[in-house]
Amino acid sequence: MKRTCLSSSRHRAGIWPVLKGLTVCLVLALALIMPACKKKETAGTTTVRFVTWKPNQPAVWDEIIRTFEAGHPGIRVVRETGPHSSTGFHDLLTQKLKNKSPDVDVFFMDVIWPSEFAAAGWAMPLDSYFPQGERNKFLDGTVLANTYKGHIYGVPVFVDGGMLYYRKDLLEKYGFKPPRTWGEMVSQAKKITSGEAADNVAMEGFSGQFKQYEGLVCDMMEYILSNGGNIVDPDTGQPGIAAKPAVDAVRFVRDQIIGNIAPEGELTYEEPESLALFTQGKAVFLRNWPYAWEVSNDPSRSRVAGKVGIAKLPHFPGGRSYSTLGGWQLAISSYSKHKDAAWTFIKFLTSSRIQKLLAVKAGLAPTRKALYDDGDILKADPQFRSMKDVFLTAYPRPRSPLYPAISNILQRYFSSAISDRNSDIEGEARKASQEMEKIIALTRE
Amino acid sequence: MIFGLFFDYTVTMKLSLSARERIFAAFLVLPCLLFVAIFAFYPILYSFYLSLHRIILSLPGLKQPFIGLANYRELLHDAVALHSLVNTFAFVFASTFFELVFGLIIALIINRHFSGRGIVRAAVLVPWAIPTVVASQMWRFIFNDNYGLLNYLLFGSGVTSYKAWLADPFFAFSAIVVADVWKTSSFAALIILAGLQTIPDELYEAARIDGAGAWNRFRSITLPLIKPALLIALLFRTMDAFRVFDLVFVMTQGGPADSTNVLQFYGYKKIFAEGLMGYGSTISVLVFLVTFSVSLLYIRMIGSRILQEKT
Repeated sequence: MKRTCLSSSRHRAGIWPVLKGLTVCLVLALALIMPACKKKETAGTTTVRFVTWKPNQPAVWDEIIRTFEAGHPGIRVVRETGPHSSTGFHDLLTQKLKNKSPDVDVFFMDVIWPSEFAAAGWAMPLDSYFPQGERNKFLDGTVLANTYKGHIYGVPVFVDGGMLYYRKDLLEKYGFKPPRTWGEMVSQAKKITSGEAADNVAMEGFSGQFKQYEGLVCDMMEYILSNGGNIVDPDTGQPGIAAKPAVDAVRFVRDQIIGNIAPEGELTYEEPESLALFTQGKAVFLRNWPYAWEVSNDPSRSRVAGKVGIAKLPHFPGGRSYSTLGGWQLAISSYSKHKDAAWTFIKFLTSSRIQKLLAVKAGLAPTRKALYDDGDILKADPQFRSMKDVFLTAYPRPRSPLYPAISNILQRYFSSAISDRNSDIEGEARKASQEMEKIIALTRE
Repeated sequence: MIFGLFFDYTVTMKLSLSARERIFAAFLVLPCLLFVAIFAFYPILYSFYLSLHRIILSLPGLKQPFIGLANYRELLHDAVALHSLVNTFAFVFASTFFELVFGLIIALIINRHFSGRGIVRAAVLVPWAIPTVVASQMWRFIFNDNYGLLNYLLFGSGVTSYKAWLADPFFAFSAIVVADVWKTSSFAALIILAGLQTIPDELYEAARIDGAGAWNRFRSITLPLIKPALLIALLFRTMDAFRVFDLVFVMTQGGPADSTNVLQFYGYKKIFAEGLMGYGSTISVLVFLVTFSVSLLYIRMIGSRILQEKT
């Protein structure tokens, strides 16, 4: 091999472009770093950074923030909007908290997260801000969900529970009362859809949330509990999904719901898609959360406005109705530098006044017990009168700092059990149960 | 200035010219090496370090003990990981195969002279230029059971029950392959086109005079001469396909029945959703090791080819 000899001047000529390149890189790097250096805040104003999700009713939330800022001139609220899906939001939020980001002051917390966030030290205990006397004014289940090892970590803003929406007009037309058992629901759905098909109206019987995601766990839990089964046995703390009542309930969903009264596409649906089917007038029954009432009765967004009825979810013969406890809490990041301002904001968002506004304008069910006797709310949301019981008794998902891991096991199991007609449900349930035991054992160490 | 001084210094040290050049070359490469060290080696080493520990974010009480290769042993017995590894390999195989086939066809077409070739060449690159997340969202809509374009094309609008593509394990997996092939075939085409353009026209003329037909010309001239380009396209596509994540994240979230769960997505879930930093990192290291060995293999193949051509 020959080596070319370069003169020293050629060397220098070759250097300058390199130097220039390096300079350009440096400038670029600085340009990237500079925006990260924060601007100084104007004196006297505290900025509260609020990590929230993409809401179903953005206008209402805009109004609330404006009202707050008008009433608290010293505090500015900067919103950071995350994904609509709980799982997506969780990933974004935990990423920030894990890195101890000071850019989070107040954040929304799904009802299943307080144990995890408390154990990880991400949410600060609110015992001094939120004393026992104040907690007693909230629904017991929601307070319990925010309690971990005797401390409180979140303030519930609104409560969710699964409920059954139905087409009042169609049930009347065929002479049906709202179904009390799942079996009744299936037979009503079949009669109505075949009757409507004769009139050339294409309809599905039922719509719910069956995609492989958190919502699947909520839906399936309602079937399992209403058959006398369990996800985790509250007495022994051991998984109950491999027991007969649970397995039978899952088999019912696979054989009687999916591909029977619900289209196969349900296996790809989250809340918005399942609701869209209903509001387009293409489904007789819908399982959804309270917010769907507002949307399905809004003539500008729904073709079935005024034709919607609600009821408790059905149950299996011999069981009773269960509804999965959902809902969102507000918490303060342990790494927040403006904890007092953050609390002022939370106190405002969870006040009777704002909860009432959320109930009337966004259909979100209040967490303060007293509001269930409020005339204005009951006028706007007559459904809350009959749903109060549901919210009072809504059943929480397993409370564990490792709930996300448990949920992923359940999601995998439920999805494989219901999306394959020939699935070996018993075998899959046993496998999932063993995986859950391993996770549960970790939290006992 | 600095470079000059440095060069003068090496002169005063009375080193041989070639030694001085080597030192100087090393000096020039240093910034680049530093860059690679910070942004590539450090994260890889750190992932490896994490993978040797049990780190559970939501259980800080467990501390973060060193557990040797326990995470790797667990990985060997993890049925879900194995399942997603199989899915990943199936995805890599299917998507790179179709991408190379379509890439070759596209490259052959846009290598010909025809009017409007410039526009066609630019248009072919459009899918590749679209961010994957956006493309995935588009394909999710196309495959939607209710208002998806595919169902409309197949069944029209008057049918009561449509095919729910993403609800069927086999079709959901195929849908992800289709989306990836659509998006990156043009990348393969671009590399193959570069190979095609290095083939001198005289070879084809000579072959034509000798009476070789189109197929023979393709088989005996085009294919052997674009082999290096094909190999490079294969290398890039395999490595990229192995790290598939965004398509799955947007289109299916791993479902239904875990049929589209790939290794990267599984690792992501472990780290970001479940907070199992140690175990999740173990999965990342596995992905790295597989891609790394695949690339080593290809580089050896490509390298030996180039050497052969020189002799």
